Amino acid sequence: MRLAETLRSSTFKFALVAIGLFGAIVLALFSYVYLSTASYVRSRADSAIATEQAVLQRAYDRGGPNDLIVVIQQWISDQHFQNSVYLLADPSFAPIAGNLKAWPPTLGSEGWRNFRVQEWKPDAANQALLRGVVKTLSGGEHLLVGRDIDDLDAFARDIKVALISGIGLVFVLAGVASVMVTRRTVGRIDAINATSRAIMQSGLDKRIPLRGTGDEWDQVAKNLNLMLDRIEILMQEVRQVTDNVAHDLRTPLARMRGRLEKAHHRQRDSEYDQALIDDTIANLDAVLRIFSSITRIAQIEANAQRAAFRTVNIAEVMSEIVELYDAAAEERSIRLSCVGDQRVLVTGDRDLIFDAVANLVDNAIKHGRAAGEVTVEVAESSDGGAIVSVADDGPGIPAAEYPNVFKRFYRLERSRLAPGNGLGLSLVAAVARLHGARIEMLDNQPGLKVRLLFPANMASASQARQGISAGDQEALFIAQ
Amino acid sequence: MPTGHRHILVVEDDQETACQLVDSLTINGYRVNLAANGSEALSLGLSGDYAVITIDRMLPDIDGIAVMQRLREQGIAAPVLIISALGEIDERVRGLRAGGDDYLTKPFSFIELLARVEALARRSDTVIRETLLRVGDLEMDLVSRSVSRRGRHVSLLPREFQLLEYLIRNQGHVVSRAMLLQHVWDLHFDPTTNIIDVYVGRVRRKVDDQQAYPLIHTVRGVGYCLRAPG
Repeated sequence: MRLAETLRSSTFKFALVAIGLFGAIVLALFSYVYLSTASYVRSRADSAIATEQAVLQRAYDRGGPNDLIVVIQQWISDQHFQNSVYLLADPSFAPIAGNLKAWPPTLGSEGWRNFRVQEWKPDAANQALLRGVVKTLSGGEHLLVGRDIDDLDAFARDIKVALISGIGLVFVLAGVASVMVTRRTVGRIDAINATSRAIMQSGLDKRIPLRGTGDEWDQVAKNLNLMLDRIEILMQEVRQVTDNVAHDLRTPLARMRGRLEKAHHRQRDSEYDQALIDDTIANLDAVLRIFSSITRIAQIEANAQRAAFRTVNIAEVMSEIVELYDAAAEERSIRLSCVGDQRVLVTGDRDLIFDAVANLVDNAIKHGRAAGEVTVEVAESSDGGAIVSVADDGPGIPAAEYPNVFKRFYRLERSRLAPGNGLGLSLVAAVARLHGARIEMLDNQPGLKVRLLFPANMASASQARQGISAGDQEALFIAQ
Repeated sequence: MPTGHRHILVVEDDQETACQLVDSLTINGYRVNLAANGSEALSLGLSGDYAVITIDRMLPDIDGIAVMQRLREQGIAAPVLIISALGEIDERVRGLRAGGDDYLTKPFSFIELLARVEALARRSDTVIRETLLRVGDLEMDLVSRSVSRRGRHVSLLPREFQLLEYLIRNQGHVVSRAMLLQHVWDLHFDPTTNIIDVYVGRVRRKVDDQQAYPLIHTVRGVGYCLRAPG
């Protein structure tokens, strides 16, 4: 990765801000440490000097210049005072006693001063820094009391150097770390970007590589890959549906075209033409029905119909369906009955629930046993939802086919020639999903039992009583 | 019927569809005004007294539902039939809530359209108040909820009674399967199976079997018509 790219990255910019803030804090902290250390060292030296000066002042006050000279001589010869500077000078600054040969020219006549003198430790590499206080005594003499503070000064300097290099090191390390972190982050994002570009250019089969570290980047990559899997499956389904639509529409259209073409080359014959026109209209109607079924399912799946949701007594809807299909059942000598509770409330679209269950009943009558039995059962579930089941005693369907029958245009081999377009159960599935209902397919021994399990919801009376929240809104298909 | 009530406003932007609509309505004795867009529909709608107004949902300038709402705001009470190529469910709800009286999805058969327009036109000028309905030798008593033919009682289930009542109220006119589903069962979708035919078949057996003449007639491709001979 190019450095310029790293420097442009938002992660790097963020790191810079963090370094800046952190650096400012460290700088403030270090400055505080340095300043307080330096002033502590200086104040220690100053207080020692002041104490000595006070002692000398007292000696002078007690016994005049002679006593003072004695004390000074004593101290000079004492090992403990080897870092101290004393000088007593007459009013014209001529030295009287002390360990300096001449009055340092940089000193004034009163107050604290830092100064250097040639003669102090002449063998040292650098002139040592001295600090002292000058006082004019009552007899007009000048007294200098001082200290060699060169060591202290060097100590403060060492601290300063250590602190400054510490700060420098912090900045350098933070800079290096942020470049590394940025490169890593940008690298992972680049991998994701590269995959996205590859997907845009070629197809959905590419996946983002994982590093196997299980870190948050791997999590992101894993989730994106799962999303891509899902999209790929959906795209395949769409393609499948498109193929099926094309097939199911082409077949009747091709038939119509063939018939019209044949008629075109024939002599006009009003009876034949009339039959042809009628057949063609019937065929077109079949095509249009497939169209409207597909758009209807698509609309339901787009969740666009929740606006029409009302509280529906599903038991009433079921008895209406049974009443409507009574005649159709009678034609096949099937006993169609509705059993169960009289009042079960769900929130939903009455038309859609009607259509969905009517499809199940229609299937049960069509595919059930002639002179058999079809039972629609309504019950309130223990959690306040509703259970609707439609059962027949016909041949049923193999358990392996359960998940397939909800696919659009799917038809069992044996019913391929029966009327229908394979969209009925897709509609049922779409309506169930819209209502957050689950579909269960069960073996009725013999026959098929399809159960719709509507969730409890706020509008249902029993639900409001118990205060249960509407549960999982996702429809699940359970093959049992 | 007063002439004003055979007057229809068709709002449709597709020229070919508009011509077909105008032709089939004219052939069936209606005077038709055509508006090709929303603003024309508004000016025509406000200036005439129409028995029925049909409005295409998608117009080049103003949305069909907005046109209907503005007509309503201006006090035009003529029944409105909304025609749309958009899907049925959601649009049906929107259209009817906005003040439409009926809804038809493209493509439709012209017989179906005529049946609906006629039903709306009748609704706009007659309200049947009798409690005893008669067609030929068939009698329906709306108070005792009983039906008889040539004096002999015909036993009907409540829903069968409703279906027959709807056919009688629309006697002489074609009633489509979707209209039956809508008015008898209060369902607003196209039945994909022949369930209505089977149901009407049973009512017909009860009403027409072993009678001098049949009353319930099948209209091929559309629905049914109840009429006495002659």
